[in-house]
Amino acid sequence: MSDFTPAQTGRATAEPRPVRYLLIGGTTVFVALFLFAPLLTVFTEALADGWRSALAALSLPDARAAARMTLSIAAIAVPLNAIFGLAAAWAIAKFDFSGKAFLITLIDLPFSVSPVVAGLMLVLLFGANSSLGVWLMANDMRVVFAFPGILLATLFVTFPFVARELIPVMIEQGRTEEEAALTLGASGWRTFLTVTLPNIRWALLYGVLLCNARAMGEFGAVAIVSGKIRGKTATMPTMVEMFYNEYLSVAAFSLAAVLAMLALLTLLLKTLLEWRHADLLAATRLH
Amino acid sequence: MNIDIEDLAKEFGPERALHPVSLSIPSGALIALLGPSGSGKTTLLRILAGLEFPTSGCVRFDGADATGLSIQARRAGFVFQNYALFRHMTVFENVAYGLRAKPRRERPTRAEIDRRVTRLLEMIQLPEIGSRYPNQLSGGQRQRVALARALAIEPRMLLLDEPFGALDARVRKDLRQSLRDIHDRTGLTTVFVTHDQEEAMELADLVVIMSMGRIEQIGKPADIRARPVSDFVRAFTAA
Amino acid sequence: MRAKILRSPSPLPGFGVSFAIMMTALSFVVLLPIGALLGRGFMTGPAELWDMVNSRRIWAALMLSFRAALIASLINLFFGLMLAWVLVRYRFWGRRVIDAAVDLPFALPTAVAGIALSALYAPNGIFGQALAPLGLQVAYTEVGIWVALIFIGLPFVVRTVQPVIGELEPDLEEVSATLGARRAYTLRRVVLPALTPALFSGFALALARSVGEYGSVIFIAGNIPNVTEIAPLLIVIRLEEYNYDAAAAIGIAMLILSFAMLLGINAIQIWSRRRIGLV
Repeated sequence: MSDFTPAQTGRATAEPRPVRYLLIGGTTVFVALFLFAPLLTVFTEALADGWRSALAALSLPDARAAARMTLSIAAIAVPLNAIFGLAAAWAIAKFDFSGKAFLITLIDLPFSVSPVVAGLMLVLLFGANSSLGVWLMANDMRVVFAFPGILLATLFVTFPFVARELIPVMIEQGRTEEEAALTLGASGWRTFLTVTLPNIRWALLYGVLLCNARAMGEFGAVAIVSGKIRGKTATMPTMVEMFYNEYLSVAAFSLAAVLAMLALLTLLLKTLLEWRHADLLAATRLH
Repeated sequence: MNIDIEDLAKEFGPERALHPVSLSIPSGALIALLGPSGSGKTTLLRILAGLEFPTSGCVRFDGADATGLSIQARRAGFVFQNYALFRHMTVFENVAYGLRAKPRRERPTRAEIDRRVTRLLEMIQLPEIGSRYPNQLSGGQRQRVALARALAIEPRMLLLDEPFGALDARVRKDLRQSLRDIHDRTGLTTVFVTHDQEEAMELADLVVIMSMGRIEQIGKPADIRARPVSDFVRAFTAA
Repeated sequence: MRAKILRSPSPLPGFGVSFAIMMTALSFVVLLPIGALLGRGFMTGPAELWDMVNSRRIWAALMLSFRAALIASLINLFFGLMLAWVLVRYRFWGRRVIDAAVDLPFALPTAVAGIALSALYAPNGIFGQALAPLGLQVAYTEVGIWVALIFIGLPFVVRTVQPVIGELEPDLEEVSATLGARRAYTLRRVVLPALTPALFSGFALALARSVGEYGSVIFIAGNIPNVTEIAPLLIVIRLEEYNYDAAAAIGIAMLILSFAMLLGINAIQIWSRRRIGLV
């Protein structure tokens, strides 16, 4: 038969084997060069002078103060964000009201604002050149170049994380289970704790995880608002920058390596959540 | 074109979808593969189309071995259960798809494509809908467009997977007759899969009853009714 | 309680409380700061703003930010599609690791990415040394900015397109093959059109993120005024000079340009969807 061509093995509509190998090879090389190489560099540069130097760098007072700052910010920003996310998802997913789409757009807004512009906004609002800033100064309250400013900047950039994860999950789950609980005589609060929360706990954890990673890693907005005062308002990412600009490469990369390990831990937990509880997470999400 | 199936078997991992089955389909026949879900009828149809490859056994088209023939080279007009119309193309573009997909030297001219698509749309009695998109059609119209698209490539056989499954009862009756008409006009060897015994008995020249990956009985509808070979066939055709 | 009037009745409790928490947080954290920026611009007036933005250095920075973001997002469109396709359709050793690694740019702080890329591509870095004999310099050139923005934007494209590939109906590709189409033709005429809307959104998201990106870029860019100085950096410089009005002017210009760009992309997307009947 003249038009006989050998069939491929496996699925009849797959790409030919050489194309498949080429694509797999191409993506592997791309990922290795663009994702793995930078990650690996963080660790090799940190250990350029050996373990001792790296650990010594981490015990510098500035580095430790920065770590404390970053942890404190995350410890406050993440729970606040979780509360906001839960409230927003409850209102948006379980009730029908007009202007919902617009509200979701507003919640998403921080994703499309440059972190630098976010920092700028806070400086304009609370800085020494605004009337609010002058009033705050007169009453001995500092926002810019102080803890509250860093917190607000972190809250701004992490604002959509938990809400964006919860809203689609809660919309999909509907409200029949809550209605059933209410007909059985449960109070509203009890219904939330015993019916809603168990259904969304993995999605909530997922959102919190991503929110935490961003809260600890935010650079642009925090760099502007904090004023990067060593030992006072410097966070880990801003300290990385300062060490780097002072040519303290090992110190910069050691601190960066701690952040990178945190990122890897985040990815690991996130992947575990996706394997175990994919059905209870949002199908698509974008941060 | 006549189709010979010899000791064809298909395994999906440890699952046996098809025990070795043999079947001869005479040229120009209208055949129904009838059976409950999981009986292997769709697997058999997909092997004929080249969408699956058998674990063992062979398929012959007009006596020539076609087991390893690529899907594109088979020229099997295949109609999917949900019709699989291309949503982003108009009806005209859908029907013209197979002609435009041909390599340049085999591709008909634009005027020829126009002519053939128009003729096919007339044949399915929907000459006016060429510029519409699939989501603007009724279920019955979609089925006929899918049929026209399959016929456009001048297939050597017509394979239909539950062609009436997604339609409501009234439309189903009309479309049975129109499939019969198209079959009689084109004279194509036609195989369709169904789980509806009434549909199979009414429409097909020859009914192949399948169960659990095996062929239970092959025969003319009247013969199967009169002389079922097993309890399964008796029960299934009595429904 | 105005919201109550506009909502349909529901037996579930807690709307008032949750709505109040949401609106309070939204107002304080997001709307008030944005209002401060826009208010600042409003008080300054458009003519003044234009004068402040209309300098060679600022235009160069704005053009650079948008051009580099556009180029990096286009590159990501290509590699992101390829990556998403491979991850969904093929099974190979290491697939899960690569799948998890795609989110690395989301999880890794941008400053960390920035110094790592800078160390890699600097003249004495591994990639820098490897590229030098080819006459290619990446660090401290615009190409370095592209590299950083490719890193930052990649997951946006992959994660938007990946679920859509996963939900493609196999029927469509199969029917195309039975109609005689070769694989390449099927991919071009059947698969690609189905992925186009997702590709558009992924591209827009990557673009929006890249335009404003700061942390990963400044270390590798070299920050030479008029050449490799991005717009966000110029805002930082103006703020360090306590020139708040100029910083606000650049910030507003960025907001307006980003907004116009996303509007344009949306318009193209709606237009193309209409054209192909996906509405």
